[in-house]
Amino acid sequence: MAQPEQVTSAAQSGPYDWIGSSVPKVDALDKALGITQYVGDMQMPGMLHARIRWSGVPHAVIRGIDTSDAEKVPGVRAVLTAGDIPGVNRYGLAVQDQRVLADDKVRSAADPVALVAAETEQAAEEAINKIKLDLEPLRPVLSIEDALDPTAPAIHEGGNLFARTTVRKGDLDQGVRDSDVIVETTYRTHLMDHMAMETESSLAYMDPTGVLTIITSTQYPYRDRRQIAPALNLSMNKVRVVQAPIGGGFGRKDDITSEIHAGLLALKTHRPVRLIYTRQDSLIANTKRHPMLMKFRTGARSDGRLTFVDADIYGDTGAYLSLGAFVIKKAGIHACGPYDVPNIRVDTHTLYTNNLSSGAMRGFGVLQAAMAHESQMDQLAHRLGISPIDIRLINTLKPGLATGTGQVMDEGCGIEATVLRIKEYMESHDLRFARS
Amino acid sequence: MTKKRGLGVGSMFYGIGYGFNRADIGSAYIEMADDGTTTVYSGACDMGQGIMTVVAQVAAEVVGAHIDTIRVVAADTTSTPDAGPTSGSRATFVQGIAVHEAASDLHDQLMQTAAGMFECEKDELEAHNGDVYLKGANAPIASLAEVAARVHLLGGRCASWGWHDNSTADVDPETSQGDAYASYGWATQLAEVEVDTETGHVKVLKIVSATDAGKAINPVAVEGQIQGGAAMGVGYALYEQHILDQGVPRTDSMAFYLVPTSMDVPEIQCEIVEVFDPKGPFGAKGIAEPATVPTTPAILNAIYDAIGIRITDTPATPERVFQAIQEARARGEFED
Repeated sequence: MAQPEQVTSAAQSGPYDWIGSSVPKVDALDKALGITQYVGDMQMPGMLHARIRWSGVPHAVIRGIDTSDAEKVPGVRAVLTAGDIPGVNRYGLAVQDQRVLADDKVRSAADPVALVAAETEQAAEEAINKIKLDLEPLRPVLSIEDALDPTAPAIHEGGNLFARTTVRKGDLDQGVRDSDVIVETTYRTHLMDHMAMETESSLAYMDPTGVLTIITSTQYPYRDRRQIAPALNLSMNKVRVVQAPIGGGFGRKDDITSEIHAGLLALKTHRPVRLIYTRQDSLIANTKRHPMLMKFRTGARSDGRLTFVDADIYGDTGAYLSLGAFVIKKAGIHACGPYDVPNIRVDTHTLYTNNLSSGAMRGFGVLQAAMAHESQMDQLAHRLGISPIDIRLINTLKPGLATGTGQVMDEGCGIEATVLRIKEYMESHDLRFARS
Repeated sequence: MTKKRGLGVGSMFYGIGYGFNRADIGSAYIEMADDGTTTVYSGACDMGQGIMTVVAQVAAEVVGAHIDTIRVVAADTTSTPDAGPTSGSRATFVQGIAVHEAASDLHDQLMQTAAGMFECEKDELEAHNGDVYLKGANAPIASLAEVAARVHLLGGRCASWGWHDNSTADVDPETSQGDAYASYGWATQLAEVEVDTETGHVKVLKIVSATDAGKAINPVAVEGQIQGGAAMGVGYALYEQHILDQGVPRTDSMAFYLVPTSMDVPEIQCEIVEVFDPKGPFGAKGIAEPATVPTTPAILNAIYDAIGIRITDTPATPERVFQAIQEARARGEFED
């Protein structure tokens, strides 16, 4: 692309007319006035309300699902299970390991097993509670340690270690020999929910031209269409996905959430169907932020220069992969931080468990990696008697230096500028560390 | 004294976009109506962060239109082209260039027609805020609306589209060596905390966030990302934890799953750093994720600075911090 014109014209007040200007967001006024129509505000004539019955147990064989009592609830128009799916009961962003509705097994407590559409939300709620599940419990895999146990049951074909990645640079032994100080620590991060203000929501209806239209809270309509059409046995050009105004995504709405379920119910009932997760549904289902176990060993010379990073990162992606392997690979690629590190060994491990699934969430594995590499940096700083600011300035990437994966930096490398800005802020506000 | 204060910093880099040889594209259609109003059909989803506004600003800048005459239609498989997901801090970086491409081509068509109207070369013309000028002149010679009406009258093409491919080859499968991402975001945060050594409660007093936006296309929107990112980071560091019991969530309501409230989120000082990125639109890059990544390590490092104890497991709940203090007391390693 052409470089922007930097010359100020007589008709301009600055180098740009609009770039760098804090114009109000195009959707701000309507949101401030409460005019914006989220899916939860949308109504259509004849619209039905949907609810999902979750499995509630982490690992089990499905022996039977009895929907007869649910179907008798007044106002119920459809109760659907896996056998009602017209297309392929598999989907997923990286591998197709997810079921639209559970068929052979339950692999997490958040597996959807049945759907209800009813004239009122109350009737739908009553009906999902009257669905009887006959489940034969299996031994669950509930932690990273469990998943690494060779005697643990395989959650999917192919075992519980989905992927391993390796970062290698320089000579680790030389890095250890070059070190005046080495810090070694194990870090653990937890399962976090995105907690978008708006929960997952979709409104599905057949338009007058025979196109299944799904207005939804999504981050990517085209990929939704790619996954909806095969499950519903429709051609992709007969599925229209429209992003509604949404109340936050943070990575969660990268995945299919409510779209296929709402579309399936609309197809089966020939009525518009609106599916809005309760907060409880949202906390239970769909992807979260990966819990990780990270074993880090980092070395430095007495002058503060990093000598090596030696790390193992284990990520619990839960029962379904979503983007988990990419998240954990990205954690490995960022494990050395924004620093010039000559010698590196990092292994990552993406593991299936029967816990809630994790996927994309703001930070995408880099947040967990940063929690570890930044804690290591401060430990080195304290051992060496160097301030936390200075140890970063000594090691930050600069144009011409390379990342842990060998990528040489150009003039867009801004890490030193951000550390210096913090340093200036501390100096101008007379802020001092208590321990250095 | 039961309350101890400390400062901590956290730095990070973040590969922008998808990497790993995954399709990482942006695309947009653009058209100008007879009255000079412009519609951009942009495939990128806006989740509230402001990509629709960035798209409008880029289009207005490049076409030479006024921002109020730009309408953005976003993310609909029937009307907008596939622009990839809004994730990976990629929307401004990737879609910004696609819109730049589309708007540049539309601008060229308009200037070509204007050059015919005024018997000059199109390179002698420029457009700002909906008016066409001879370069360097103070008074406009026509409005974009007049030029657009002329294009339509002549049956010309007053529409275009732009596409940008930000995909990068995957790294080496054995060593992960390679250019993993087209570009990287950079950020450093400072956190000031106060730790109550009798309860283990950590209160964040202040966060200073120095985040490199390359070029802040909309500085207030960048501040919004920084504020939200830091608040989310406070939640991750101290509060928000999904607790599973035998795989079953026990924190399935907001009574048990605690998010930071206005009582918990401190003053957040936004320091927008602008290191021009040659690969981004107008030098800009994504800041959505860089704005939240450093908060947790900054808080954990500040806790250490306050009490001399390193919390290695998140979140740093009062129970966890208090237990660590008690263990240090038992070892005789804690200064009350």
